Amino acid sequence: MSARRSLANLRIADCTPLTKVFVQAFEKGMLARDLGVEFGRAVRDENGTLRIGSGPGEWLLLAPPGSAPEVVERVEAVRAEEPVSVVDVTHGRALVRISGAKTVDLLPKVCGIDMSDSITPDGAAFRSSVAKVLTDVVRDDGEGTRSYLLHCERSFGQYLFDALLDAGEEFGIEIEGFASNNSRSPE
Amino acid sequence: MILLPCPHCGPRNASEFRYAGEASTRPDPNATTPEEWRAYLYIKNNPAGWTTEKWFHRTGCRRYFTAERHTVTNEVRETRLPAARLESNS
Ligand SMILES: [Zn+2]
Repeated sequence: MSARRSLANLRIADCTPLTKVFVQAFEKGMLARDLGVEFGRAVRDENGTLRIGSGPGEWLLLAPPGSAPEVVERVEAVRAEEPVSVVDVTHGRALVRISGAKTVDLLPKVCGIDMSDSITPDGAAFRSSVAKVLTDVVRDDGEGTRSYLLHCERSFGQYLFDALLDAGEEFGIEIEGFASNNSRSPE
Repeated sequence: MILLPCPHCGPRNASEFRYAGEASTRPDPNATTPEEWRAYLYIKNNPAGWTTEKWFHRTGCRRYFTAERHTVTNEVRETRLPAARLESNS
């Protein structure tokens, strides 16, 4: 792809087109074992889906755009004995990625969580208030560069993007536009 | 900033939570008297000291939990999940 690849220390990209599937099941049930990621962590599976333990008994699955049917099918194929809820929430949520060394300066302006490596290392996931919006935050570094995915209700998406842009101005934040793939470094 | 330790998420700013009142036992609506029901709904102990109360982690795990808090010092000595949770093979 020919899109410009920014080298700024703080970059923001709209990743909203990615497929987002919300899963609820027992915290220690069969599906939880199959998903293999606990609350507070995120891992990429063999299909390239980012499995996020977004809450107790809750998971958020991020995958390439348009792949919701396959993602839902793969979860429903697990023969769990407990009640399980699998919902495609792609069109109901917004997703933003911020990357670069300065993310560690930006985030404390809008979020109360400790962003140090000892508390939130690569692969950490938590839900908290970001610029006063209920947001799932996932640290998803790429090529040795800090990167975070921020996931919120769609109606707050524009506000969250603008709030991050405003908070990042003093660090020279650059907009990377749409990032429609699921890789760590949007191209 | 007052920190409240969520049993799921760890210590968080108190602004992330919603206070859900003193923890009390709901009387059986079929067996209770109007006086008991009124007391359950409206009369609180409101002590200056240790109290057991419910909190909701609004901008976090979105779960209710129970906390033992000192209303004068704001010290929290224990937080725990509700006793009866719908959970398999835990
Ligand atoms: Zn919590």
